[in-house]
Amino acid sequence: MNARNVGFVYRKELTEWLRDRRTLISTVVIPLLAFPLMMVGFSALAIMLVGQAKKETPKVMVLGGEDSPAVLEGLHKLDNLEIVPSTPNWKEMISNKEIRAAVAIPDGFQAALATGEAKTVLIYFYEGELKSSFGADRIEKFFKDYRDRVVRDRLAAKNLPETILKPFEVKQQNVAPPEKVGGAAFGGFIGYMVILLCMTGAMYPAIDLTAGEKERGTMETILSSPLARLDLVLGKFLLVLSASLATATLSVISMGSSFSILGKFHAFSGGQGADLHLQIGVKSAAAVFLMALPLAVLFSALLLTIALFAKSHKEAQSYLTPMTFAVVIPAVASLMPGIELSPKLAVIPILNTSLICKEIVGGTYHWNYIALIFLSTCVYAAAALFLATKMFQRESVLFRS
Amino acid sequence: MSADPLISVRSLSKHFRTFERREGIVGGLINLFHREYRIVKAVDNITFSIGRGDMVGYIGPNGAGKSTTIKMLTGILVPTSGEILSNGFVPWRQRAAYVKTIGVVFGQRTQLWWDIAVIESFKLLRRIYDVSQRDFDERMELFDQVLGLRAFLHTPVRKLSLGQRMRCDLAAALLHNPPILFLDEPTIGLDVVAKDHIRQFLRAINERYKTTVLLTTHDLDDIEQLCRRIMIIDRGALLYDGPLAGLKERLLRTKQIKFILRDGEQAPRLAAFEHSLSASAQNGLLHLERLDEMTCRLRFDRSSVSTSDLIRRILAAVEVRDFVIEDEPIEEIVKRIYSGEVFAAPPGPQP
Repeated sequence: MNARNVGFVYRKELTEWLRDRRTLISTVVIPLLAFPLMMVGFSALAIMLVGQAKKETPKVMVLGGEDSPAVLEGLHKLDNLEIVPSTPNWKEMISNKEIRAAVAIPDGFQAALATGEAKTVLIYFYEGELKSSFGADRIEKFFKDYRDRVVRDRLAAKNLPETILKPFEVKQQNVAPPEKVGGAAFGGFIGYMVILLCMTGAMYPAIDLTAGEKERGTMETILSSPLARLDLVLGKFLLVLSASLATATLSVISMGSSFSILGKFHAFSGGQGADLHLQIGVKSAAAVFLMALPLAVLFSALLLTIALFAKSHKEAQSYLTPMTFAVVIPAVASLMPGIELSPKLAVIPILNTSLICKEIVGGTYHWNYIALIFLSTCVYAAAALFLATKMFQRESVLFRS
Repeated sequence: MSADPLISVRSLSKHFRTFERREGIVGGLINLFHREYRIVKAVDNITFSIGRGDMVGYIGPNGAGKSTTIKMLTGILVPTSGEILSNGFVPWRQRAAYVKTIGVVFGQRTQLWWDIAVIESFKLLRRIYDVSQRDFDERMELFDQVLGLRAFLHTPVRKLSLGQRMRCDLAAALLHNPPILFLDEPTIGLDVVAKDHIRQFLRAINERYKTTVLLTTHDLDDIEQLCRRIMIIDRGALLYDGPLAGLKERLLRTKQIKFILRDGEQAPRLAAFEHSLSASAQNGLLHLERLDEMTCRLRFDRSSVSTSDLIRRILAAVEVRDFVIEDEPIEEIVKRIYSGEVFAAPPGPQP
């Protein structure tokens, strides 16, 4: 190996890569602009849609209940529900979104209450339809409140305290630091994104530098230069690695900033959203980057090797698409609830990095696992790089016909 | 040929293993599971040597093995068997050292960076080939004089015309002043003026630096204007290796004029012309063919009829919209060599 020659190849590829407008778009513009736009845009849209749905007063229909005037009156008094006259085709009307829900009050409901007989109030709604659920929820809330009132009245009538139904309270209390709460929710996601972007960032240059070179017919010219094949493959590999890391870094920066913007605006402010910490500390960001480094080496070497077999861009793409699944599946597996690091999982490439990133973002540093995962990924990466250099020596691969 | 050859090739062969593809959808499916391989002898046992300062033309039809030979001579491919000793090196074994003493130009592909000004490629090549700044400046000066490079040195390669790019590629291949230059189809796709430029330049460097040149081509004019010796290869085997002079008359005997009639009205006049041709053809070849309704091809023996005479006769007989004068395609020549028309005895490589 001649470091000077590797440098020549790297410089050549880098200059060409930077001059390519497609590169700039896929590595710089998309991660920097599209991610924040997509995230802010999506959440803004979601908030807007939910808000609109909440603002609308759902039309609901009451079926029966003529003999329970007190209940009917209570329902009519609600200002967050609009009661429409009942018709026999209420089911169809719910499906057609003309009304959002319907409630069937059983015959003799009020009378049954007096005698202590338990009847069932049925609420009809369209599952999966946001506005229909809102309507049904409001009806349900009304009847639950009504039930509580009945219970309280009955207890009062018999001179019994309310604690007879609730002898004690049960409550869950969070002890994880706020950082950890955010980490659990988003740690897995960030690890997953970093892994995926390391891969997609490497993909285009890996194809262009091998199959693309063959397609343009410049493979022969570069092979007839005094640069050794080892220098060539290393120079190309370094460029692919740079692209992979650049894409991942830029995307993490832009994702991090869009998360923090969203956090500031309390975009997720439904329930626990307000105390959700979305900022990632510099320390954990650096640690995630460090863990992704050997993985980026592994991807770059592997993609370069596979793309080298192809004769054209098109062929290379069809080889590399299945690779995406091979990466996405273990990366997603780490997001499944209940999956935790174990010595066995720590040597499964991709999955291990994804799991440790989740831990790191969550603020936990298992040093033994970090060392094991880093080293095992380094071993896989070295093997992949070795394979790439071997394939570059093979005539049957370089000049496949 | 000098007594001490610069390039010597002995019993060189290169075999590739390719698989036979079956036809149709069913065949495609079978291909996935069962492949039948076939050995293709791209180059089959060829022997030749080239002396210092020689300019040799290497011709043959498509797929004959020309490019494979060049790739072995430049160290890109490893031969299946046989030996090459070029400028004292075994190309594939001492590749990095060897290629610093050769220049290579592949006609349809460039070694320059596509998106970057030409001069930047030259500067990088200077460093890869360890050329001193003084030598670099001196050679750039010479290349500019002969090839007129200055006008587009700062243009990105993708904006150059094919002719300009070829001039730049030639300059790039010669930046380190190699004693040997391999050219694979250097004039392919170029117009007449650009071809002439390239040929003049090749002659100049051959005279000035005694650069040894091996060039493959489809264009017989390249051979006529540049080479005293030709090698003909077909299906991996050398058919002929020797001086061009003796062969020229026999090889480049036939020319053809293709002409397009002005309109459909010309048909009867063409028939009359055809009749007069067959009457005037004495012993040489003079053969008119209709390629389609409007296009005709007149093949003739240039030793018995002059091209200008024939054109005059065509123009007098019919109204013509356009015509081209062509050499007989190389494939046809190879066919004639095989049929024994060119050589009295069956062809074989000559020392």
